[in-house]
Amino acid sequence: MDVELAEVRDFLAGHAPFDVLPDAVLEDLPRRCTLRYARRGTEILRAGERNDRLLVVRSGAVDITDEGQVVDRVGAGGSFGMSAVVEHVPTRYAVTAREDTLLITLPQEAFDELSAAHPEVTLHFAATHHERIKAAIARLHEGRRGSAVLRTSVRDLVRRAPVTVGPDVSIGSAAKVMTDAGVSSLLVMEEGRLTGIMTDRDLRRRVLAAGTDPSRPVRDVMTSAPVTVGADALALEVMLEMTGRNLHHLPVLEVDGSVLGLVTTTDLIRLERSNPVYLVADLARQPDAAGVVGHAREVPALISQLVAEDATAGDIGRVTTALLDAVGTRLLELAQAEVEQDLGPAPGGFAWVVLGSAAREELGLGGDQDHALVLADGADPAHPWWARLADRVTEGLEAAGLPRCEGEVMATNPRWRMTVGRWRATFARWSHEPEPDAVLRAAIFYDMRALYGDASLVEDLRADVVPLAARSDLLLSYLAAQAARMRPPLGFFRGFVLEDSGAHRDTLDVKRGITAVVQVARVHALRAGSPALGTTARLAAARAAGVVPAETARDLSDALELMSYLRLHHQAEQLRRGERPDNHLAPERLGGLERRHLRDAFAIVRAAQQGLLLRGPRVG
Amino acid sequence: MPRLPWRRDPTPPPGPLAELADVPPPSRSTLLSEVEILALDVETTGLRPRRDELLSFGLVPVLAGEVLLGGTRHLAVRPRGDVGGSAVVHGLTDDVLTDAPPLAQVLPEVLRAFVGPGYRRVLLAHFAQVETSFLASSCLEVYGASVPFQVVDTLELERRLMRAQHHELPQGTLRLDACRRRHGLPRYAAHRATTDAVACAELFLAQCAELESRRGRPLVLDDVAERGLA
Repeated sequence: MDVELAEVRDFLAGHAPFDVLPDAVLEDLPRRCTLRYARRGTEILRAGERNDRLLVVRSGAVDITDEGQVVDRVGAGGSFGMSAVVEHVPTRYAVTAREDTLLITLPQEAFDELSAAHPEVTLHFAATHHERIKAAIARLHEGRRGSAVLRTSVRDLVRRAPVTVGPDVSIGSAAKVMTDAGVSSLLVMEEGRLTGIMTDRDLRRRVLAAGTDPSRPVRDVMTSAPVTVGADALALEVMLEMTGRNLHHLPVLEVDGSVLGLVTTTDLIRLERSNPVYLVADLARQPDAAGVVGHAREVPALISQLVAEDATAGDIGRVTTALLDAVGTRLLELAQAEVEQDLGPAPGGFAWVVLGSAAREELGLGGDQDHALVLADGADPAHPWWARLADRVTEGLEAAGLPRCEGEVMATNPRWRMTVGRWRATFARWSHEPEPDAVLRAAIFYDMRALYGDASLVEDLRADVVPLAARSDLLLSYLAAQAARMRPPLGFFRGFVLEDSGAHRDTLDVKRGITAVVQVARVHALRAGSPALGTTARLAAARAAGVVPAETARDLSDALELMSYLRLHHQAEQLRRGERPDNHLAPERLGGLERRHLRDAFAIVRAAQQGLLLRGPRVG
Repeated sequence: MPRLPWRRDPTPPPGPLAELADVPPPSRSTLLSEVEILALDVETTGLRPRRDELLSFGLVPVLAGEVLLGGTRHLAVRPRGDVGGSAVVHGLTDDVLTDAPPLAQVLPEVLRAFVGPGYRRVLLAHFAQVETSFLASSCLEVYGASVPFQVVDTLELERRLMRAQHHELPQGTLRLDACRRRHGLPRYAAHRATTDAVACAELFLAQCAELESRRGRPLVLDDVAERGLA
């Protein structure tokens, strides 16, 4: 062909990935293309739209956005439309012309031919596409992260309507208004506008110390035209303003100049107090179970706060576990003291253990109690001391908002109060003579962590139990089958699994996905002979032992984080609405990006389950 | 607009011109997105149709807001005389052109390109008078008759778009590259028939986008077409 489309050819030749194409291919490429134009501000692609082209920016620029957040900005030579041409799915992102933009479009067939003949082209676009997805995930977190001081706006700090007087009120009456209202400062208003502020300090310095007549008007001693702050300023900015100017009171104004209220240094200090560390310390100081229960009631609000601050699900799991550990520990201390008063000292060494998600440090909102007692060999499991202790602690936990375990996996159940020797024998039975049902109910005991008492008892026990399990093909195969049975939903677009009846109709049980990862990781860790408890730690251990490919381990960890993250946000929202937290996500409440990632997470879980079954029972 | 002499001859001889005459121009009320448009750029030895010669035609189709590069045509014409100074402008040398077929062989291809599905495709050009007058005089020369086109002239469109904002237009504001710059279109090394046709087609897309956002409704042919046929 002749040079008639030289402009388009030369342009493509100057940009990746077309720059690697042979001349003959480049010569022919423009004929496969069309040109389009988009005025600044027009939407070129709508998220979810079917598109059948790769689009290359010839001139101008476009913004690629996900739910309004810019994921990428593409200028001349850059491309979009990869969802269609690479993944063959409707476009993931909205694309808007940021400037007047000329586009070169390449139809799907031409793209397919090109990728078939030149794999580097596919690679380039797949990589670009992957980067965009990663950026989109990062945006999910971004903007919500940070400490309370960074996150909270002044508007949320203002606790009451301002106490105000007019400028001609006498100093004496103003002082009385302050005393009656119990405030240390007063806003002086004239015709709805803020004209001044009078504080305790002003009264001291400008009235008492200066010998000013209290019958004079407030206007004479107030601070005129005080420093103010906008209602949407961040708490951090206010803090800097106050320390920088040595102010203790700052009037807060709306955009229209009206007064919203007053923020004080005390408000800022209170904000900083909403830190889990303070609560742990407070819990440890409580003199009685009622005090512990009272403070334990703050836990959900604190977790919700962490969710709002966009901590990772992994971090929140550890913080929640630390808080509930503090609740449990203090309840145990108090209960032990109480039982000792009636029945004397404990009849032998013991360790109170937590099981399941508490042991894995993966607690969220809305969990229940799972615990047991491990007694030193020689202690009498039938001694009433143990039952008394278990009853008191379980009652306390229940009052603190942790429901009793439906399966009675609690220290109140005599079955789960055993000496180390008996525990060892029980685990051995699970490893050597497995009855499927018993084993499946027992899985939770492989997640065991000492909370209180003699932790060495539990360490010794676990040191025996883990290798025992690792050697038992039968046990591993039962656990693997169990993990593979926990089916996560298939997806949202086709054949998705929803609860089909009851209160959770048309919702999605995210716990099934989470549980599946937990179970898969447990099997892998046992195969690897690892005593690790946390799911992520287990996957890492299994990877290190070569039991799981690195990619699978990483994918499963990511999937767990995503599902747990979405569950936490769902539960925090339920708490906000005054509902009891559950695991049932309503798909329509999820954003498009969340849905897509959740679908991807489920796919990862299913693949891992498949892999587990294919491997069969083999000692790692 | 003055009546031009060839309009008086309504009966073209059988052949490509007659085929073109058989299909009517599209209705002016047709949605622009449904009208097949052909951007045309001619290269000539000068600007006087009776004296100067056609050297090449560049053609590129536009449909539904897209320039269809796959339909791009470049048709060189063997001139009777030599190319002279214009070769500097076009990069078309005597050598290239002496290999090309004569106008009488090229013209049918051009005319057939304008025979659309039941109607005469719309002719799109920047300062279309050059294209229409050279086409008409070529037709007269070859067939002794001519057929008028429905024309969209990006220069006139730009003048209308600009007039809404400016009272007087300084010289040069309506040149193709100046118009393109105004719409954020890239700079091209101009003066090759196909490049200019593509450049004009792109400008047309940009103008339509602006006009459509001003009107706030989908455009019809009447919004952009010149009055009458040419």
